[in-house]
Amino acid sequence: MSRISFRILHAGALRRPMGECSRVFKERYPDLPVELESAGSRECAARIFSGGIYDVVALADTAVFASWLVPDYVDNYYVFATDQMVVAFDRYSRGSGKITGDNWMDVLLSPGVIYGRSDHNLDPCGYRTLMVWQLAEKFYGRPGLYKTLKDRCSRIYPKSIDLAGALVEGRVEYAFLYSSVARQLGLCQVNLPSRINLSSPALAGYYATASVTLEGRKPGERVLLTGAPIEFAVAVPRNARYPVEARWLVEFITGAEGQQILENCGLIPC
Amino acid sequence: MCKCSCSWNFTADRLLLPVLLFLLRLKPAHGYELIQKLAQLDLLEGEVDPATVYRNLRRMEQEALVVSSWEATGTGPARRKYTLTSRGEELLDECMLAVRRQKEKLEKFIRLYENECRPDLQGGESCLPQG
Repeated sequence: MSRISFRILHAGALRRPMGECSRVFKERYPDLPVELESAGSRECAARIFSGGIYDVVALADTAVFASWLVPDYVDNYYVFATDQMVVAFDRYSRGSGKITGDNWMDVLLSPGVIYGRSDHNLDPCGYRTLMVWQLAEKFYGRPGLYKTLKDRCSRIYPKSIDLAGALVEGRVEYAFLYSSVARQLGLCQVNLPSRINLSSPALAGYYATASVTLEGRKPGERVLLTGAPIEFAVAVPRNARYPVEARWLVEFITGAEGQQILENCGLIPC
Repeated sequence: MCKCSCSWNFTADRLLLPVLLFLLRLKPAHGYELIQKLAQLDLLEGEVDPATVYRNLRRMEQEALVVSSWEATGTGPARRKYTLTSRGEELLDECMLAVRRQKEKLEKFIRLYENECRPDLQGGESCLPQG
């Protein structure tokens, strides 16, 4: 009789690092079938909330753990990496030859240019994009920039990795992504100023001036989420079928070897 | 250069290591908190780069200058908390000797400049070696 699979649920943005970590896990536990499943982090939390059973869950925002999963589904969750928001593009994107950290919004708002983001109700990269736009309005002193960028954004994908795929395939010309995802896919990127890229704990108070209203866990419920530095976290759910093996994987991800994998994937282990 | 086996040498942009050692000597802390304190202290050139801080903390742990453990706060996330080791304390003391030596050299250079190039600022006699 075949064994029940060891199930890993992770944010789409973590596809490559989790894939590489799971390969090491399979070497450690060769008799245990492993299933990897990815979605936007809020969608991941919703799957657990609605009864899904997983052994390890790795999400792109600690706030998702705090608001959806602790304490009913997860006891402890461990911050293991950070990142920054960037504007990703490729050399065929219109205006790619002149885009900089100062004029990116003008390039994106040029006639005919197509840019995209992920869905803020499903994916932290989506609500972080909206926060970046709010902070940009203040940082660059451009009243109305947030609304203009939001209104003109015609492509919205369920999770950031889908958005990245759309950029690779040329369906969008610019995408708001994590730097690590852009690097993994060999995309070009414009680094944004630290005051808007959600990278630095030193600017946590400033980031908190941005906020986005999201759908809550229950139908009709709305929650306000404020900006914060990007932090990825991992946990062993309380109902994991393989808690011992799951703890091994979490220790691996947060240990020296796992940190090297994360760094190779463009994340900042912490 | 320090007399110990470390490779630390003072320049303004390399204060990060001794400042991290100093902050951790005051109390154990996690990287998130250290980045906030580094920004408040404003001792380093330019902005505090989180990636550089986290990379330094990992290297410091590999060199046994700090040890880390997970600390959870209530329902908040668990973060890696760093504690200074005795080896880290020794290195901080050695770094500070090098900082003081560099401070003396910089002050001497400023005096030379003011005496030789801007006597209006000091009005003193030349302190250059004769001959």
